[in-house]
Amino acid sequence: MGDPDATYAAFAAARGLEPVPALGLGALTPLLVESKHCQVEPAARGRLNGEVDGVVGHLAYTRNRTFRFNVALVEVPGSTALAPRLFCIRRGRGTRDDEFYGFEARHSKLWTESTALNDRYTISTSPFQDPNWMRQLFSPALVDYLATVPPADFSFELAYGALLGSVEDDDPGADGLGALCEATAHVATRIARECGE
Amino acid sequence: MQINRTGIGLIGLFGLLGLALCIGPALLGADLETSLIVASTGAIFVLVAAGLAWYARHTGAKAAHQDWIFQNGIKGSATILEVGNSHTTVNEMPLMKLKLELDVPGVGRSQVTRREVMPVFTANRMDAGLVLPAYANPKDAADFVLVW
Repeated sequence: MGDPDATYAAFAAARGLEPVPALGLGALTPLLVESKHCQVEPAARGRLNGEVDGVVGHLAYTRNRTFRFNVALVEVPGSTALAPRLFCIRRGRGTRDDEFYGFEARHSKLWTESTALNDRYTISTSPFQDPNWMRQLFSPALVDYLATVPPADFSFELAYGALLGSVEDDDPGADGLGALCEATAHVATRIARECGE
Repeated sequence: MQINRTGIGLIGLFGLLGLALCIGPALLGADLETSLIVASTGAIFVLVAAGLAWYARHTGAKAAHQDWIFQNGIKGSATILEVGNSHTTVNEMPLMKLKLELDVPGVGRSQVTRREVMPVFTANRMDAGLVLPAYANPKDAADFVLVW
């Protein structure tokens, strides 16, 4: 794999972000919980894209084998009341290789009409999510965007106002980090707009 | 809680392996003592599979009941008064003990306790003062769904 320190330093310099050697994000989303330490290293923070501020960082942890992600964390403050949990995960993504359990917290797979979206992602929400609101959120424009624009290994997790976008590429380079930030910011903006309406 | 693919696989594995151990030795012509020893191991496997299947069915029935309350219940709110961690985990998820003030329109306010197994990222958000949506059974307000 490449050198994350060099990649993040170059990315931070190009985007005017504040480079940070390491940053604890807290157990905010399922992926961060999987890592146990919830720490990104290296990282950068500031304006990720458009009007969206956040943190971008390299998340690595070992659960039997080492998993490496690059993640972007932003806040969507008004979303908890309308969509406490929303996970849009690349089909086949693995986040552990040690313990597997037969029972898990209850969730609902989200129905969408888009084959392209369903081929690419598994989307799930709280079982008590308002389905009409979710259909409004997943407008044709958002569905088309998610199916075609983000990096191929992009996923996002929205949990109680924290939105974590991620890619699984070990070293996506500055362009890949830029694409991660743009996709995460796009989703955050879309959710925030729908919450505002 | 809900069963997932791993759970279905475990039920299938324990069930089929248990049945094979129960009847295999006899079919293969093993002596009575060997057949009984192996069959008793198989019976344990079958019991494990049956237990998992029962629990899956139980969680499914509970989920269906919660869905019914969500669809037909009275929407209210639950304010968290106290949060206690039992220090018990189920599949890496903490069992949380919540003291709540339940406010159901037309029924009134009441204090209740609820134990919920939650993912870590949810449990971390539980704090006194947090207001969560709740749906109460119209026939029995004490029977409610806490939305987290």
